[in-house]
Amino acid sequence: MDLNTLLPRLLALAWLLPLGSFALIVFFGPRMGRAGRYAAHVATSAIIAACVLSFAALGLWLFQHPLTAGHGAHAAVAPPHLSDDWYSLGDFGSLRVTVGYYIDSLTLCMFCMVTLVASCIHVYSTGYMHGELHDVFDTFGPTEEGRMIRRRGRYCRFFQCLSLFCFSMLGLVIAGNVAMVFAFWELVGICSYLLIGFWHERKSASNAANKAFIVNRVGDFGMIVGMMAVWAGFGTFSFGDYCGSGRVLDHGQVVVKDRMMPGIFSQARPAGNVEKVRVPDGMVQLAARDEVKKVVAAAYRQHSNASEAMKSLSAEKAVRRKVGEWREQGYGYWLLVVGGLGIFCGCVGKSAQFPLHVWLPDAMEGPTPVSALIHAATMVAAGVYLVGRFYPVFTPEVLLVIACVGCVTLFMAATIALTATDIKRVLAYSTVSQLGFMMLALGLGGWLAGMFHLFTHAFFKSLLFLCSGSVIHACGTNEMPSMGGLRRKMPITAMTMLIGCLAIAGAGIPTVIGLSGFYSKDSIIAQGLSFWAANPRFGGLFFYTAVCGAGLTAFYMFRLWYMTFAGNARDGDVYYHAHESPLSMTVPLMILALMAVVVGWNIPFTKLGLEPLLRQAAPLGIAEGASGGLLLPGVHMPAEHLAHEHANAIKAELAAFGVALFGFLAATWFFGLRKLDPADVCRTFPRTYRFLVRKWMFDELYAFCFVRPVLRISGWIAAVDRKGIDWCVDGSARLTEAIARFDDAIDRVFVDRAVNLASQWTYALGIRLRKVETGSIRQYVLWLAVGLVALVVLTSLFWSNAVAGG
Amino acid sequence: MLNFSDPTVVLTWLLSAVVFLPALGALILCIVPGQSDKSIKGFSLFITVVVFLLTVYMALPAGHSASVGHFAIGTAGMQNMVNHAWIPSFDIRYFLGVDGISLPLVLLTSFLSVLAMWASWPINKNIRAYCALFLLLETGMLGVFLALDFFLFYVFWEVMLLPMYFLIGIWGGPRREYAAIKFFLFTLVGSVLLLVAMLMLYFASDVSRLSEAQRIACNLVGPRGTPHTFNLLALMEMGQMQNSPFGHALLWGQSLSWWAFLLLLIGFIIKLPAVPVHTWLPDAHVEAPTPISMILAGVLLKMGGYGVIRVCYPICPDAGYHLAWLVSGLGTLSMVYGAFAAMAQKDFKRLVAYSSVSHMGYVLLGIGAWSAIAGTNYRTDYWSMAMNGALFQMIAHGISSAGMFFLVGVVYERVHHRDLDKFGGLFARMPVYAGISMIIFFAALGLPGLCGFIGEVFVTLGAWNYSKTLCVIAASVVILTAGYILWTIQRVYLGPEYKGPHPEALTPMTRREIAIAAPLVALAIILGVFPQTLFQYTKPTVESMVVQKMADWTLRTDVRHSGSEGQSR
Repeated sequence: MDLNTLLPRLLALAWLLPLGSFALIVFFGPRMGRAGRYAAHVATSAIIAACVLSFAALGLWLFQHPLTAGHGAHAAVAPPHLSDDWYSLGDFGSLRVTVGYYIDSLTLCMFCMVTLVASCIHVYSTGYMHGELHDVFDTFGPTEEGRMIRRRGRYCRFFQCLSLFCFSMLGLVIAGNVAMVFAFWELVGICSYLLIGFWHERKSASNAANKAFIVNRVGDFGMIVGMMAVWAGFGTFSFGDYCGSGRVLDHGQVVVKDRMMPGIFSQARPAGNVEKVRVPDGMVQLAARDEVKKVVAAAYRQHSNASEAMKSLSAEKAVRRKVGEWREQGYGYWLLVVGGLGIFCGCVGKSAQFPLHVWLPDAMEGPTPVSALIHAATMVAAGVYLVGRFYPVFTPEVLLVIACVGCVTLFMAATIALTATDIKRVLAYSTVSQLGFMMLALGLGGWLAGMFHLFTHAFFKSLLFLCSGSVIHACGTNEMPSMGGLRRKMPITAMTMLIGCLAIAGAGIPTVIGLSGFYSKDSIIAQGLSFWAANPRFGGLFFYTAVCGAGLTAFYMFRLWYMTFAGNARDGDVYYHAHESPLSMTVPLMILALMAVVVGWNIPFTKLGLEPLLRQAAPLGIAEGASGGLLLPGVHMPAEHLAHEHANAIKAELAAFGVALFGFLAATWFFGLRKLDPADVCRTFPRTYRFLVRKWMFDELYAFCFVRPVLRISGWIAAVDRKGIDWCVDGSARLTEAIARFDDAIDRVFVDRAVNLASQWTYALGIRLRKVETGSIRQYVLWLAVGLVALVVLTSLFWSNAVAGG
Repeated sequence: MLNFSDPTVVLTWLLSAVVFLPALGALILCIVPGQSDKSIKGFSLFITVVVFLLTVYMALPAGHSASVGHFAIGTAGMQNMVNHAWIPSFDIRYFLGVDGISLPLVLLTSFLSVLAMWASWPINKNIRAYCALFLLLETGMLGVFLALDFFLFYVFWEVMLLPMYFLIGIWGGPRREYAAIKFFLFTLVGSVLLLVAMLMLYFASDVSRLSEAQRIACNLVGPRGTPHTFNLLALMEMGQMQNSPFGHALLWGQSLSWWAFLLLLIGFIIKLPAVPVHTWLPDAHVEAPTPISMILAGVLLKMGGYGVIRVCYPICPDAGYHLAWLVSGLGTLSMVYGAFAAMAQKDFKRLVAYSSVSHMGYVLLGIGAWSAIAGTNYRTDYWSMAMNGALFQMIAHGISSAGMFFLVGVVYERVHHRDLDKFGGLFARMPVYAGISMIIFFAALGLPGLCGFIGEVFVTLGAWNYSKTLCVIAASVVILTAGYILWTIQRVYLGPEYKGPHPEALTPMTRREIAIAAPLVALAIILGVFPQTLFQYTKPTVESMVVQKMADWTLRTDVRHSGSEGQSR
């Protein structure tokens, strides 16, 4: 079979396997062994098979597209990719919404990463969720009276959701167009909703689940707006070129023909002009609506004798001739900016960036493996992934917004992580902060740096979460102040977590070697430095924030490690019951720890590694950086290779290393050696401390600005219905009723009375006349005679009159 | 006398059977005495199933075989037309037919009738009357979707009204009289407007303006005693002519077609319903018994949208063009208003009713966005998309809302209350029920992979070219929708325990209930994953009959306008 057809099929199989597992567990889950014990086996084997398939596909890809050293750096051709449609959801003329794929080395890397991490987490979950095999006394979800409830275990439901999630996530990655990305975007959202609310007896869990979904929907709202702009402007959602139909003139006849149509990437970066984003024709025409009208009317007048189809075709041609001119005048540029910002809005929601970051810390209500998989390694990184995917379409203005959002996020989240005491929340804020790093890198023009950090982060953050899960499993609490000294009880967890901390802090020897985080974080900071050089007036802000964030990262991560594992036990009870986790949990930890160390390295003596692989997928037109936006002409995103020039890179590495070391030493001073009491610091700056503990007051702010007003407005609107519209309706009914009563009264007073009067008179007459009826024959004969005489007299009178008259 | 080798005869019998079999069933129920309740229900269910099978037969794709009555997919115009004289002096005819717009709605009607009839099992008050009225209602609904004669359409429109009134007023909840009368009055106002507009159009119509070919295409047959006609197809042709007979000024500087459009529109949006004429809906739903709510939300609301597509726009394109802002504006208003109102409800059924208002707003937006974008690219593709999206949304809403009302009914049947604050914990007590509910509710929420998503997204994507502002507002509704649906799920299904009365009655779903819900769930998934199954029916009709013709019309008008502007300059 041809590799070009084999590869998509392999990935499609890897994608659909978890769906199959989901369907199996839905229908037969509870019957799989006692309490659905074997559901875990089904789900785990499906994802491991998917993992094997993904790596096989990666191997095939490398066989077909070997990595070349300089690829992407100066290339003016699109990165190698495969794209096609599987089937169509709906096609209307030239528009078609499809389900398809877009595969390049980024897709493959994501597939491998997602399936590998997911496999580890599936295995881990078989141990972690063990308690769900039996009935559970939920201590966190008491009833209103405070009664504990006993409920069935939900072991197979957990794996069912996990499988659905893997399917959705892989679908998001393989998606060949924006609509499909959005569809799976929502599906991962719903999986996240279901899993955050896994222990839905707890009010906090169901609240957190709702919050996660609704906050994400706010981002999705922006994304829908962006999609609408893209759809109307590009006329397609496909990333790559696709086979579509268009009207062409053939021997004087207008016919509809299949032909290759440019996808979004080719339209935004047409051949020969890849350095700058080009506003697509559709957007220009939309914005220049009035101009188009004039041109079309002129064309119609000119060809007034031709057939309708010919007329419209010639009008189209006339419009097309003018498009270039309109584009030069700037028509449609703002639509492209809206499109980019809209798509980024979705990413802000999904990747928990400021100002929509509030859902992620609350999402920690879900089981820890879920936090590791969905809320650290894969789903939240999907936003970053989409920014990376959509990169060729972003204008410099959008990129600057992305950088600003990332910058604010990384700093804010890092400061909150300093004071959090819930072990998972520290990690959650750390995730938000790291995602901010990625966004910052992407926004500053460091595509490769951002994407690279996505992958390294996925491994060490899932490792950190699983370690924390192991700790929570052992201690039964999330609160770090009641832990301490656990390294003696759970050495494997302590060691692997230490590796995770070192990786996230970016430990390494400058210019020589380091853990995975060392490479990715350094390249982000290097990009910041190079951006500063390109924009001396304000670029320093980004660089300093990134460096500062790196220092804070090292500090809060080691704070976490020291508080958990070092020193002496703070809560004897917790310490006494703590134990090392079973093998099913520690083996995944070790695998992930290994990955966290090595994933940044190239395979020795080859050019094979994550970074070169990603570089192969570097999108068109980033080689020279980005500049020349119409709205912000002064901003210049430097090309990425500039960041790796020696002078720049060494400065950045030293800065990063310096602050990380400082952070580490400070944490050691405070929490490891306990030379200083952190409580003193809190007492010295009570306001700052409270501000941080309350998470910058975002929840309060949003409740005040959005939640309550929405509820109030909905109350008003319901009242308008009841008291406004219904009042009118009921009022008109009552008015009608009143008129009817009035009518009725008239009937009774006038009409009826008149009728009654008449009848009364008749009656009275009758009564009187009754006296005539005596029953005596003689009297009747008498009356008869009188009547006859009267009749004769009358007749004769009339007769004579008539005769006289005649 | 009956020659079944003649296709016209077969068609006549087929379509008449679809429309009148339920009425016949009702008649039989009335005159045959003394059956048990069970056999009455069984008989009615049997009738609805037969009708459903007949409609499925009608929807089967016509291949090369000469079987009469199948649907030719890919054909745009009216098919399987049946045309017989009824009241010749006014040229009122018994004129039925299907096309890609009506066929999905016919199928939806017959399908939901089966489910609703089956869902009527728990009803045990005066069964005979209930079933008879139910079947009569089905006749009215199917007749509306199949009629091609305006007068016949109106007759069926009225036929459906009365059974509904009694079904709500007799078998309803505590405030049933109020709700029934409110429903009746609202709908009657709409009917009156419809009648007035119909007569206006009738007396303005002039058959002699049509060419011979057009007359044949419109099935205008036989000797004629009058130049006027109720033939909907002929009225459409006349409405879209260069010098339409409806174009002359009538009142306050507006043309007859403008006024007719407005009257028809108000008549139809009362049924749809759109804000501000929607308040009958929550009351009717709250009081109606479960199966009737299913029919009400699933089918009756669709008549409004169907009317706007079938009658308003094709006959009065001029007015549609100028009033597009009104139609799509009302649609967007309904979406936002309904979503906000839904969020404030404490009654489960009322909440679902308001969500219907919100979701039917998409239909109006999709239809409205249809007419006015011609000024830009002269590409009809986006119109077509929005229109198809609106039609899809009607079907999708028919499935999801019928499902939601049924599911509310399931739990109401058990605990006899609908107070959202007194539920909770149903997930643990009725897991299958909760699972099914989640799917149906997510379908309403617009989750991809389920039917609601396609309609909403296609409408908003298609409408963007018409008005960016309206589309942005429409897109923002997804947040509110997620808000009220998730909040409902939380209050009803999640949580540690059930907080209301009769906790012991919360038994798992019966087989019958699962069997009613399962087809809805399956359809929600199938339509969500393979929307082409529906689009293949609707698309050719929408593209040719509506969009293509309307596009030409708009183009002519537009070029004329800008031409005169150019000359005056």
